[in-house]
Amino acid sequence: MSSEQSDNQIRILLVDDDPAEHILLKRKLKSAEDSSIDLDYVSDIGSAVDVVKAGGIDMIFLDNRLVPNNDFRETAPQLRGAGFIGPIGIISSDISGRYFEQFRDFGVDFKIGKDEIDGTVINFIIKEYTQDQLSETCSEDYM
Amino acid sequence: MLVTETVLHLGPELERAVNRMDFFRLFKSLAGSHGFSYFGLTEILADDQGINLQHVHALHNLPHAWFDDPKQQVIEADDPVFVYLQQSSAPCVIDMNENHSAVLTAGGSRSVAIVPLHAATGKRHGLIMVGEARELEHQALALLALDAALIFQRYFEVILSLDSISGLSDREIQIVRWTSEGKTSAEIAIILGLSEHTVNSYIAAVLRKLHVVNRAQMVASAIRSGLIT
Repeated sequence: MSSEQSDNQIRILLVDDDPAEHILLKRKLKSAEDSSIDLDYVSDIGSAVDVVKAGGIDMIFLDNRLVPNNDFRETAPQLRGAGFIGPIGIISSDISGRYFEQFRDFGVDFKIGKDEIDGTVINFIIKEYTQDQLSETCSEDYM
Repeated sequence: MLVTETVLHLGPELERAVNRMDFFRLFKSLAGSHGFSYFGLTEILADDQGINLQHVHALHNLPHAWFDDPKQQVIEADDPVFVYLQQSSAPCVIDMNENHSAVLTAGGSRSVAIVPLHAATGKRHGLIMVGEARELEHQALALLALDAALIFQRYFEVILSLDSISGLSDREIQIVRWTSEGKTSAEIAIILGLSEHTVNSYIAAVLRKLHVVNRAQMVASAIRSGLIT
């Protein structure tokens, strides 16, 4: 993701089968310093794949357990399979399961408890996952 | 006394931390459990550079609006917090009513806990925790410093020590190999089912390990040292 994009609007897709989480996250996003965030919402992984394929999503917050699916190990690879290469963060009310240790093996970038999310966390996530990590000399043009 | 089972940073999440996001969560939890709203961790560099919270390994949740220049995010060298970190290796709490800090006082903070930290390589780091007026008793400050050291040690093992390790992980070798085939980060992300961010994180780690500055050098160095053929 380019630094130009980070100066512009960022489009986050929330995938959660509980609509109340959409309202809660919208409130938390308002408390973040970066106000240039658009939040899209879908309640199931099939719809998420459709949205991803349509393009324009910069980041996905994926609920760990989406009925009728199991956990992120089943859903995150579907988003990657659809060609999504932006960051995927797993959000869950309980991230204590040992299987969370392998989150990177399933194409997930980070995990966080729902009760940990506040404005400062959102600021950090946006900065951490939308800024260029490599210097200009490391861009593909230099190959 | 903190109950370890109920505090995130003292539970299993400490052992499971694998990326900067995890350590951000741990340090935030540590600050919150002692009543502080904000924290900042960074390496302490030269005497005149102050505290640079944009450093590659820095972690913080201080509001950008506190800084004169939000893009630089520096606490200047004459700030009492930086001066303390330069002069002491013991943790302390500073009353901001008596010590004016251009960044932290302007942000409305009343007290700052300062924990000097040292990596096993000898590099100095500083953890600051910022919040409303409060006093930490001796035992509470000692516990805070111990917990900070435990999280920092894990941060060193997982993140900071990569700068001085020469070997590459299987995943890093995989990514160098695809780069040598001419694939872009986005293409490698699709091939491996990862995000472009994760691919670039691996490339950034390899660059630091091999002491090179771009992809061509990275591939050449990896071939020369036999890491890839």
